[in-house]
Amino acid sequence: MENTNAVKSFYEDSGSSRTGIMSWLFTTDHKRIGLMYMYVLLAMFVVGVCLGLAIRLELIAPGKTIMEAQTYNAVFTLHGVIMIFIVVIPSIPAAFGNMILPIQLGAEDVSFPRLNLLSWWLYITGTVMALFSLFTGQGAPDTGWTFYVPFSEFTTTNVSVAVIAVFILGFSSILTGINFITTIHRLRAPGITWTKMPLFAWSLYATGWIQVLATPVLGITVLLIFVERVLGVGLFDPNKGGDPILYQHLFWIYSHPAVYIMILPAMGVVSDIIPVFARKNIFGYKTIAVSSLMIAFAGSLVWAHHMFTSGMSDTAVLIFSLLTFVVAIPSAIKVFNWTATLYKGSITLEPPLLYSLGFIFLFSVGGLTGLILGSAGTDIHVHDTYFVVSHFHYVIFGGTGFGLFAAMHYWLPKMYGRMYNKKVAKIAFAVLFVGFNLLYMPLFVIGLQGMPRRYYDYLPQYQTGHMISTFGSWILALGLIIMFVNLYKGYTKGPKIGRNPWGGSTLEWQTMSPPPLLNFDREPDTSRRPYDFKGVTPDE
Amino acid sequence: MENSVIDAVSKVDTAFQFIFGVSFVILFLITAVTIYFLFRYSSKRNPEPADIDGNLTAEIIWTVVPIIIVGAMFWYGWTGFKALREAPADSYNVKVTARMWSWKFEYPNGKTSDKLYVPVETPVKLDMTSVDVIHSFYVPAFRIKMDTVPGMQTYTWFMSGEPAEYDIQCAEYCGVRHSYMLSKVIVVTKDEFDKWLNGDQQAQAEPEGKALLAKYGCADCHSMDGSVLVGPSLKDIYNRDTVIIENGAEKTVKADEAYLKEAIYDPSTQIVKGYDDMMPPFKDEMPKADLEKIIGYLKGGEKAEKPGERGAKIADNEGCTGCHSTDGSIIVGPSFKGLLDRPVTALHNGKKVELTANIQYIISSIKNPGEYIVEGYDESMPPYDSLSDKDIQALIEYFGTLR
Repeated sequence: MENTNAVKSFYEDSGSSRTGIMSWLFTTDHKRIGLMYMYVLLAMFVVGVCLGLAIRLELIAPGKTIMEAQTYNAVFTLHGVIMIFIVVIPSIPAAFGNMILPIQLGAEDVSFPRLNLLSWWLYITGTVMALFSLFTGQGAPDTGWTFYVPFSEFTTTNVSVAVIAVFILGFSSILTGINFITTIHRLRAPGITWTKMPLFAWSLYATGWIQVLATPVLGITVLLIFVERVLGVGLFDPNKGGDPILYQHLFWIYSHPAVYIMILPAMGVVSDIIPVFARKNIFGYKTIAVSSLMIAFAGSLVWAHHMFTSGMSDTAVLIFSLLTFVVAIPSAIKVFNWTATLYKGSITLEPPLLYSLGFIFLFSVGGLTGLILGSAGTDIHVHDTYFVVSHFHYVIFGGTGFGLFAAMHYWLPKMYGRMYNKKVAKIAFAVLFVGFNLLYMPLFVIGLQGMPRRYYDYLPQYQTGHMISTFGSWILALGLIIMFVNLYKGYTKGPKIGRNPWGGSTLEWQTMSPPPLLNFDREPDTSRRPYDFKGVTPDE
Repeated sequence: MENSVIDAVSKVDTAFQFIFGVSFVILFLITAVTIYFLFRYSSKRNPEPADIDGNLTAEIIWTVVPIIIVGAMFWYGWTGFKALREAPADSYNVKVTARMWSWKFEYPNGKTSDKLYVPVETPVKLDMTSVDVIHSFYVPAFRIKMDTVPGMQTYTWFMSGEPAEYDIQCAEYCGVRHSYMLSKVIVVTKDEFDKWLNGDQQAQAEPEGKALLAKYGCADCHSMDGSVLVGPSLKDIYNRDTVIIENGAEKTVKADEAYLKEAIYDPSTQIVKGYDDMMPPFKDEMPKADLEKIIGYLKGGEKAEKPGERGAKIADNEGCTGCHSTDGSIIVGPSFKGLLDRPVTALHNGKKVELTANIQYIISSIKNPGEYIVEGYDESMPPYDSLSDKDIQALIEYFGTLR
């Protein structure tokens, strides 16, 4: 806590003449922007979770439980749109990338601070429009988050507004990607060479390239839906000579790489956390850094594995199935390297590590079940069933979600200068972990039995699985409440901390907590490699 | 052919077993090793961490081994996929048309059905398309799933196997009734299948009993339309009060089953008043089975001609009842109950119009539903211009019965 009297933290020093809420809404400080992203996306996460719980409650028994079919269809569409476009895609990069990346590089801010603020405003605009689409027009969108044609042209619900919202959110993502790539290229402090960059920064670099290269395709695609609906052009409408499969290609050319936008930053978080709590260098730094780039590259070439049953040619199935298995390799290497990092370490099982290990297990389940989906013959059976729903949630909720939770337990003490109750954090983890597996494991089983996704009602043979899953959803919700309440209490009233509560060796742990406006109150020492803990000890 | 079929499901299942088996081993190893490390290298047991930053050999091993494993997985998966795609040349072909929210199966002889009847131990190839949005034909038991895409033909095939029933589900989200777009594959013996395929259809056009009446020449003397030829008409004959001359005395009897049987086998004992005793006894000529069928026909003649029955069948087969209820409730579109001559407020070219759902209106609503959209409903019904005028007539007759 030295120096706090001399140098003001970024909370006290806004760097502009604005005060109060305006000093936040129009800030160009990457830390404030990162926190604002986090507040909005956590609020939307709560909305998404409530929608998810409503879906689970409806499915506890066949027939109507709490809502009508049309409402149910709108609810799962919203759950998907909110969770994917508003929560998960921006989650780690926009919130923690903004807060942490410039500090890790020894920079004062991102390359384009005002563009960063514009990204946030676009994000808010998109989010508001998505919510707006619920309450205007002829009913909330009911297409699923995939907006498949011809159904999305057919339906009279408010799809046009929703796709414009997605279009705007896409721009926010592109601008953030550009900002991070440029920052990493141009603003590394002297001494922070490419191979001395923390792996979190490497993962954001790979993510940035996907955001910049793939997101425009989404922008174009959703714009085409808008044009189809409003002008009736007929690109996708077979009655007018269009091709509905073309839409699926365009959609997945973005939306598959988007999955890597979601997961790569979480891998970066885990790569940064594990060495700190093992007090040992990461196993195979270069391999992990390069595998992020490989995932980004190969992941851009596998989109049509979502379309094995679509009616595209068998040759395309052959190629895309093969390429999909190629992506499995770098992911597997990462998992093995993380595990090997623990070997002969000196491990303290603090909450960030616990959440990171949760990530590895859940992501492994998600990744391994992904092999079933990449393999052509088996995919035919489980495609569009609850097997896919479960696989996806293991990767994105178990992966990105737990990665986000790990980041919140690891870096937020730095941002707030206070510590949460570690014991409660561990209890929350245990409840979350049990609830999560109880919720999603049975869905693998009913998926294999043939339960299709997006079903409002179902045949009686699938009821047991649905029932267990719904019980699991309540336990998971309880875990989330415990975790969030604990974090909130910790960050508002918890004990104050010094510069380096975990004994991290990357630059963010050299500055004060919370950091000052321009990130460093004294020149950071950039001579140390990112995971070299010799002579570094945690405070207290 | 039988082998290759059993192969399709079993090849897919082999791929499942292989991938799951390997995955369980990998997951178990990662988890066990992690837990062991947490325990063995906890800061209490191992206060001094070792200085290791990598190991090239280890990394090469865990790059190359996964490549081999996923290569094998890919191959198993692809073999299964190929088996699912290679329909035997002698497959039995059925056309499948998907629409919101029902399935229509059309057989080579033109017969249509809303359930997929197939003979045992036969490879069945389905040529599929959709009339509105994308659906997906999914039979979990056969591991097959194929999207049905409007404006495009897709196919899938399966081996029917033993007599049984299997669930068909729509696997591509298609709107409010998606989860009710269900049907069944019904595998029956070859005899039953032939009977179903041909028999039922004949019964629809010309019931068996009627054919027998023609065969035994009954129709030469007995009309079916109430007119008197030589003998009394057979129209509505069952349970009709009939005055007969029995042993010279007049007597009123009900033309029940026993009476009709006797009247055919031994007509001269009970002559209907006003007719001559000229019908030959059919006792020796007509086997009991045929007699039963004829009586059955005479009994059911009334039922077969029940107004609206054919229309009701068309409404089910064409999927109308997927959206339009017959009991006044609202599923997606307006109910059929009380439809005929109901006053309707509809949107026509963006303007509100008041009209009556008369026959003309109903015909145009079936053929061109976009023309008038009933207030409060969405424009989501596809045009059914493939229905024949006769079918539409039958539908309207059916609506007339739903008061």
